[in-house]
Order: sequence, then C-alpha cells, then structure tokens
Amino acid sequence: MFHWLEKHPFFFAVGVFLVISFAGLVEILPSFAQASRPVIGTAPYSTLELAGRHVYIKNSCNACHSQLVRPFKSETDRYGHYSLSGEYAYDRPFLWGSKRTGPDLMRVGNYRTTDWHENHMKDPASVVPGSIMPAYRWMFTKNADIDTAFAEQLTVAQYFSVPYNQSVPMKDGSTAVVKMGSSVVEANAIALEEAKVIATDMKDQDVKDAVDRGEIPEIVALIAYLNSLK
Amino acid sequence: MNKLYLWGIIIIAVMLGATYLSVGGSKGGLNDDIVNMLAITGAVALVIITVFVVIKYVRQMQVDSASGELADENWDGIGEYKNSVPTGWAVMFLLTMVWGMWYFTIGYPVNSYSQIGEYNEDTLAHNAKFEAQYKDITGDRLIEMGESVFLAECKVCHGINADGIDGKAANLNKRISVASVKHVLEKGSNNKLLGMEMPMPDRNGLLNSNTGALITDAEIEIVSAYVANGMSGEGADVFAGACSMCHGADGKGMEFVAPNIASFSPALVSTILAHGKKGVIGVMPKFERLNDKQKEAVGAYITSISK
Repeated sequence: MFHWLEKHPFFFAVGVFLVISFAGLVEILPSFAQASRPVIGTAPYSTLELAGRHVYIKNSCNACHSQLVRPFKSETDRYGHYSLSGEYAYDRPFLWGSKRTGPDLMRVGNYRTTDWHENHMKDPASVVPGSIMPAYRWMFTKNADIDTAFAEQLTVAQYFSVPYNQSVPMKDGSTAVVKMGSSVVEANAIALEEAKVIATDMKDQDVKDAVDRGEIPEIVALIAYLNSLK
Repeated sequence: MNKLYLWGIIIIAVMLGATYLSVGGSKGGLNDDIVNMLAITGAVALVIITVFVVIKYVRQMQVDSASGELADENWDGIGEYKNSVPTGWAVMFLLTMVWGMWYFTIGYPVNSYSQIGEYNEDTLAHNAKFEAQYKDITGDRLIEMGESVFLAECKVCHGINADGIDGKAANLNKRISVASVKHVLEKGSNNKLLGMEMPMPDRNGLLNSNTGALITDAEIEIVSAYVANGMSGEGADVFAGACSMCHGADGKGMEFVAPNIASFSPALVSTILAHGKKGVIGVMPKFERLNDKQKEAVGAYITSISK
C-alpha cells in the first residue's frame, strides 16, 4: 500500500489530511464542547440586564474595561476566581476587551453595589480620587431600549436554545428561572419589575420618579447588568 | 597532510581567534566568570567537532561511489537504493515509540503542564508563605496590614480616611452614626451571625424601664445622639433604662446577648467582611476573597482608627 501511496501523491495528501483531521477532532472537539457549555451558576441575561449590556456596549465600556480574569494569583486576589470559558456561554459577543485602562469588570457584581455604581457613574472622582473615567450623566436621563433587548432574547432563545423560562442550576444547588416575556408589552413589564428593585437602592430622585412613571433610565439597566456580573 | 585538513585547521584557528578577540576584550574578560569559561570551552569544542565532521563527509563524497540494489520506484530517472535502515536510526525510532507510549499513558496525564495547574501551585505556595510569615503578627504590624488591605479593598466606598466620603458609606472613624442607631431602634436587628440567638426587637419591643413605657420618638432622638457620640452627652438615663440591660452600662455589650456598640472589635469587622451588611445607607457586599488574617487585620485597623 505504501508503495502505491508513494506513486500517487494526490491520494497520499488525502490520506495525510484524513489522519490529521481525525486526530484533531478526537483531541480538540470533546474538550471544546465541554468547555463551551455554561458552567453551573451561569444564567442567561434577563431583559433589563440585556438592555444594560447594550448600554455597556454602546458606550464602549469594553474599550477600557476587560471582562477576563486571568489565572494569576495577583488577579484572583483582586477580582475573584479566574474566568472559565463556560461563563461566557450567553455572551454574544463576549466582552473580554483587550486593554485595562480601568479595572476588570468580570465579577464586579461581587464587590460593588447599586448605590456605589450610581455615585460612580455620576461622578467617578467622587468615590475614586484621581479617576480618569469620564462621568456618564446622560445615562440618568436617557431611557434604555427594552424592545431591542427583548428582540435579542427572542433571537437567542430560538436560534441558540438559550434557556429562558427554564430552570438553570445555580452554585448553591438551587435552580433559577430567567423570565422572558411572550410579547413586547410583557417584556417591558418584566423589565420594569426588575428596574423597581434596582431603583429602591438608588438615591437619585429623578431616576426613582422615572421608574415610578414606568420609564427605565439607562443607568438602571446598566447597574442591573453590572450587578449580574459575578 | 591533506589540503582539506589544512583548511580545517585554518578555519578553526580563524574562528577561535575571532571569538577570543570579541569576548576576551570585553568587560569581565575570560577568567572572571565560570559561565564565560564554560561558554568558551563549549564554543571551542563545537568548532573543532563541526569542522572534523564536515571534513569526514566531504572526504567520503570525494572517494565513495554509489552501489546497491535499486528500488522499483523511479522519479524522472532518479532512483532509490534498497539500503537497510541505519542501526542508529532504527534504535532511535524504537526508543521514540517507547517514549511515545510512556508519554501518552503516564507522562502527559500525570505530569502535564497546565496554566491552571501552575496557578494552583502558585496559590498554594503563596498561601503557605503568607501563613508562615504572618502567623504571629500582632499589634502595630497587624494594624499596618489592615491599613494596606483597607486601602486596597475598602477605600473605594469608605474613602481613604475611612470617613465614608460624605455619607456614601459608613464613617468608620466612629463606631456608629446617629442615622444607624435610629434605623436599628426603628427596625430592630438580627445579630445571629455574631453568635447572638435573640434578635434585638424593633421599637415595639423596647421598654424604657425608667418610665415603664415603650421608647418614644424623643427618647430615640436623644439616645441615638448619645450612642453616636461615643456614650457621652445627654441621654445616659435613657440608655440606662432601655439599652444597658443587654448592651451593658458602658455599651460594651455582652457575649451571646448583644454586641459592643461603644467601639469596634476585630470579630465584628471580620463577621461583616465575611457576610456583607445591609444598613441604613445601603448594602455592603461581602469580601470572601480576603483570608481570615486579612479580615482580622482590617478589624484591628478599624478598631484602632475608631478610638
């Protein structure tokens, strides 16, 4: 057979290709499939969180903030457990970022609170002296785009089987259900319920009034998103 | 002597001479450093071996002629001899197979490098070093450690001076604020995490034994100022009547009954760091990633600045 292969370089090349492809598939695919599954404790984004993620992307937060904790002692001391690939299972696209002008935000929900974010987005230097981060005051007056967030939920639920309205396992052994509305109206109502919880912990009266009126300022959505980063 | 050997010796001499010129004159010279000497010895050996091996094969090309049985294959007139595999190659090939089996079954699975593995080793080594270095740390050094942890983790909310940045977080330069005392008197407090089984009741369970009635708005106002002022000023009588039964006459608390509200203690701070807190200002997250020693140190630091 080998003499025959040596005389037929085309089939020799095909044979080499087949052997290497098979080895590659056997080596790479299983661990890739395993690593890309959502880890326990990773839940899909709720409507409000997804709207906040859009605010995050729109304002290019990822230009200065990464969302990837590397496995170094110095990083895990500061930010918490190193990132696992399955934690990005519901991130489309992932927001790893490539540069840290500001700190990593992968797990910011663990060590910052709603009212800290409120102070910080309004005037960063008031809580972090010397901070060069700009203030994002318009987020307190502009409303978040819930409709687009709902559209994204519908799309990922349908095409990527993101488990909305299904129970997902959490770290403490319990399960959680992330609700997705069946219509735009219902999605807005669900987002407003979430927004009320966030607004309770906020101090800005204009934001509280807006939420009472049934509006959702961008800052509320953004804080919901940041709090969900754990 | 063959012309080839003559050339070989000339090349060796030139190369070693050039090496000596470039290295010998440099700082440190040839004799100072064992590494330099080793490198030079290696270079000499390399040059000599290379030149003589090349000479051997050049001579072989000059005198050898090809012979043997040709294989069937023929590529544009270029054939191939059916020589047996050289012994060295065959041995290396077999050894590679043995090594491959070992690596596949034992070498890689047991000993493989991974980034996470390195991280785990780093962390274990760091923790062991930390443990050994700071096992018996006390007093000022503990407070110093607490300050550095505070400046890394706590200052973003509590401020560099621990003053709470205009009410954005608790002012830790004093044990408790007027607003906090009022909040607790109104809402009660669950101190289970501090090892106290009985929760503190809200205002509907707080009896002022001086008057024999429930605590009033005016009394709450006075006693809040009294406690926040570090157990001084007006209101000592209300405190004695309504609070001292559990918190002690000096406000230092009683074990298993009520916490110390006159001053901070490392145990209290450690508990709050481990579990977080919800108070009148808002929510404080928990700081699980600090180790016990660091929590104790932060406690010692806060106790020291709040005095």
